[in-house]
Amino acid sequence: MNVQAEHHDGVLVAKVEGRVDSSNSQDFERQLHEAFGDDAGAVVMDLGQLAYISSAGLRVVLLVAKTLGQRNVGISLCSLSGPVQSVFEISGFNRIIQIHENRTDALAAAGK
Amino acid sequence: MSASLTLRVPNRIEAFAGVTEAVETLGREEDWAPDVAYAVVLALEELATNVVRHGGSEEGASEIEIEVVSTDTEARVEVRDGGKPFDPFHDAPEPDTEAVLEDRKIGGLGVHLVRVLMDEASYRREGGRNHVTMVKRRS
Repeated sequence: MNVQAEHHDGVLVAKVEGRVDSSNSQDFERQLHEAFGDDAGAVVMDLGQLAYISSAGLRVVLLVAKTLGQRNVGISLCSLSGPVQSVFEISGFNRIIQIHENRTDALAAAGK
Repeated sequence: MSASLTLRVPNRIEAFAGVTEAVETLGREEDWAPDVAYAVVLALEELATNVVRHGGSEEGASEIEIEVVSTDTEARVEVRDGGKPFDPFHDAPEPDTEAVLEDRKIGGLGVHLVRVLMDEASYRREGGRNHVTMVKRRS
């Protein structure tokens, strides 16, 4: 698992690669906090290269979304595919976090 | 084709990486569709994690037995442990997947995912052990 941070016109994009499970979810949380820092205006998590996530990783996504929400920082997800997308939908996360089909749509929405 | 796999691992979260690898190898050999492999690996992780957290014995002090049987029609998974009686499908709280972000509780999702992703899930207490059996159909 690896989190890469990129900046696009004031929007922070965190690209997550690999697998997030109970054995590395703490590391996932730490890497996300490092990527987001304290000054991001809006955050997009690009999950196009995320191969697997279980409830341990979903818990981290929810925690991070809540923390950013309290700071009035918008967060959205993009590029979910296959079983990863199903897992987010079954969890009801599509109702609490905006999910976009691709990064372009996510950046356009975040920039508004 | 039919193949099976039995693993005994210590009740430690770190022990789980080897289980994932072994099950994914079996899935590749048995030509499972991606959603079947994902569901089986996730079901095993969620249930084994539950045993580690709620089984009542110190981490690393007991063993979890995992059995996976793959046939042409289904992947069948059983997780057995000697911890205190715990039926994850009745004793675990149901998450509120309709809640808004501010009200959404952290956690409680694992068993919910297993219930939805697997086609069958059942629990029995037998011989002083918990047995959780789950089935994912392949078509």
